[in-house]
Amino acid sequence: MRYIKLPSENFGKFFKSLGEWGTLYAPVKKGDIYSFQEVHDPAEIALDYTRTMLPPKKFFFRPKEAILRLKNGRWEEEIEAEPTVLFGLHSCDIHGLKILDKVYLNEPADPYYKSRREKTLIIGISCMPDEYCFCKSLGTHFAMEGFDLFLHELPDGWLVRIGSVRGHEMAWENSELFEEVTDEDLANFKEFEEKRAKAFQKELPQEGLADMLDLAYNSPVWKKYAEVCLACGNCNMVCPTCRCYEVCDSWMDAYSSVRERRYDSCFMENHGLVAGGHNFRPTRLDRFRHRYYCKSYFDPTAGYNCVGCGRCDEFCPAKIEHVKVLEEVRGSLQ
Amino acid sequence: MSENPYQTYDARILEVKDLTSREKLFTLRFLDPEVEAKFDFKPGQFVIVDIRGFGEFPISICSSPTRKGYFQLCIRKVGRMTKFVHKMNEGDVVGIRGPYGNGFPMEKMEGSNLILVAGGLGMAPLRSVLWYAIDTGKYENVWLLYGTKAYEDILFRDEIIHLLKHGEAMNCSVKLAYEVESPSCIYLEQGFSDRVCKGVVTDLFRGEEFDVNNTYALICGPPVMYKFVIRELLDRKLSPGRIYMTLERRMRCGVGKCGHCVVGTSVSMKYICQDGPVFTYWDALSTRGLI
Ligand SMILES: Cc1cc2nc3c(=O)[nH]c(=O)nc-3n(C[C@H](O)[C@H](O)[C@H](O)COP(=O)(O)OP(=O)(O)OC[C@H]3O[C@@H](n4cnc5c(N)ncnc54)[C@H](O)[C@@H]3O)c2cc1C
Ligand code: SF4
Ligand code: SF4
Ligand code: FES
Repeated sequence: MRYIKLPSENFGKFFKSLGEWGTLYAPVKKGDIYSFQEVHDPAEIALDYTRTMLPPKKFFFRPKEAILRLKNGRWEEEIEAEPTVLFGLHSCDIHGLKILDKVYLNEPADPYYKSRREKTLIIGISCMPDEYCFCKSLGTHFAMEGFDLFLHELPDGWLVRIGSVRGHEMAWENSELFEEVTDEDLANFKEFEEKRAKAFQKELPQEGLADMLDLAYNSPVWKKYAEVCLACGNCNMVCPTCRCYEVCDSWMDAYSSVRERRYDSCFMENHGLVAGGHNFRPTRLDRFRHRYYCKSYFDPTAGYNCVGCGRCDEFCPAKIEHVKVLEEVRGSLQ
Repeated sequence: MSENPYQTYDARILEVKDLTSREKLFTLRFLDPEVEAKFDFKPGQFVIVDIRGFGEFPISICSSPTRKGYFQLCIRKVGRMTKFVHKMNEGDVVGIRGPYGNGFPMEKMEGSNLILVAGGLGMAPLRSVLWYAIDTGKYENVWLLYGTKAYEDILFRDEIIHLLKHGEAMNCSVKLAYEVESPSCIYLEQGFSDRVCKGVVTDLFRGEEFDVNNTYALICGPPVMYKFVIRELLDRKLSPGRIYMTLERRMRCGVGKCGHCVVGTSVSMKYICQDGPVFTYWDALSTRGLI
């Protein structure tokens, strides 16, 4: 890794230069909600944001998108990917993208996701956890890869980690904005990370978690929470790693049709329905449990399907807490 | 060919045949000779059928890869899209992508006995195995145990009756169980009293002996059937690793993206479309919700 320093007074210039690499998006505050929006000026962005409602997956896997267009009886693919710079991703969201990569870049790669991923630069930024965050328990609180540049807050600027060749290029072309890192900067970096590590309020103990949950398949705790759950599917929409989709064809006119896909949710009753009306997950309990199992699945190459961002807790109208559910389920195993 | 895994290729319907009042057999061939030449599949694999402008749905290939120049799909009319294909005729064109899924391990099973256990529409993917085994002649004995509701519901009735009569010459023995009595069934039963009976598919195991060290069982049928059939096989001490079953889930993409076919829990999750649809009973033991 190469480390350089961006002094505070150069931040504005650096930020403006990012626009040269593509359309620039960054976290913006609207009412009480943060979201990634197109920005032009550093004054528009909320550097100290907690989490956006929709995660950055929306840039690669769209809430709704046309994948094919029927023209003269043949499907033509619809890929529009433009150079994009995503500024200000937190470490957990960078990990979330890695989990989506595992699905969408795996052979056969999804060409829509892939082309957008290739055309997008990722700039991470350090953060302080709030009461919903539990990324530290999952090891997703620090990103070692998956970004081009990562900015860590210092009292008088930013310690920048360079994570890719394109990251090197960005630093190279703006070399007059950067300085060498001093011992004092390193001490500040260390202090920030230590302070941050202590700030986590929520923890999800990992010891044997996957097996404990599997063993507690019939736990009454699943049932208790399934009864509280509204099956609204909010938790799926806001999750940086949920990526189920539904497909639908619709006619534009007598000769042309479009095949669209849109976010789907495993809380919907028809998610597990097959021919003949048989449903493999007929009850809300089945569907509730399925989501928790899916999120807690541990893939040896990519880790858990949950990165501990806390979105599902913050945006759950029934105030169901992810960690609490898992802890109670595990606890119910005598 | 396009790199886009969602692109489908034109295939012409060469023939449409009524199998029952609900199922039709479609014989297809790709229009583009290059696509046709490249298209190869294994028994147990499926394709996604694309009715452009209306949608897509997965269907098992029911013909054998040993028979070149065409492939066949047996489609039951259950809903919007399948109703639509049922209205199509010879000469019409549909989109096809695939083949998808793992298929049955035909090579690994060479030299062994095969017991095919089919319930209803489960006959479709197993027909591919059946003709593959007969055409290649690489298997000891092939038993087909087929459970059907009524005489009118027997899929590939001509072939089944042909095999009841002449199967022995091809090392193939067919047994049939029906649930609803009718003159035709009774007539069949009189002709083949040792092989046709009233009952469910598990009744066909009665009196059947097989060498558990040299036999594989391949199962396909409605969700409720698996548990009972597997119990019969385990009672006879067949190893779970020799029990193959092909499963169905809702599918949209067929290539491990859309998440619809995912089953399992925190310790083991599987995509039916990519890890399956063919699984062994070991898989069922380690993945909750598989059957
Ligand atoms: C691997 C696999 C192999 C199959 N092989 C065959 C076959 O050989 N022959 C055959 O007749 N059918 C087969 N099916 C089932 C077939 O895919 C469904 O009957 C078909 O999708 C229903 O579409 P529809 O539009 O007519 O029904 P819809 O109007 O969409 O709905 C009718 C019913 O089918 C269910 N359904 C809808 N889409 C799917 C889907 N993609 N997968 C499963 N169920 C769905 C609905 O939930 C509903 O219960 C197979 C399914 C799978 C997953
Ligand atoms: S957001 Fe909350 S209420 Fe809505 S489906 Fe998820 S857990 Fe249930
Ligand atoms: S399950 Fe909840 S905490 Fe975990 S990644 Fe998804 S939204 Fe974030
Ligand atoms: S069918 Fe889409 S993931 Fe299996």
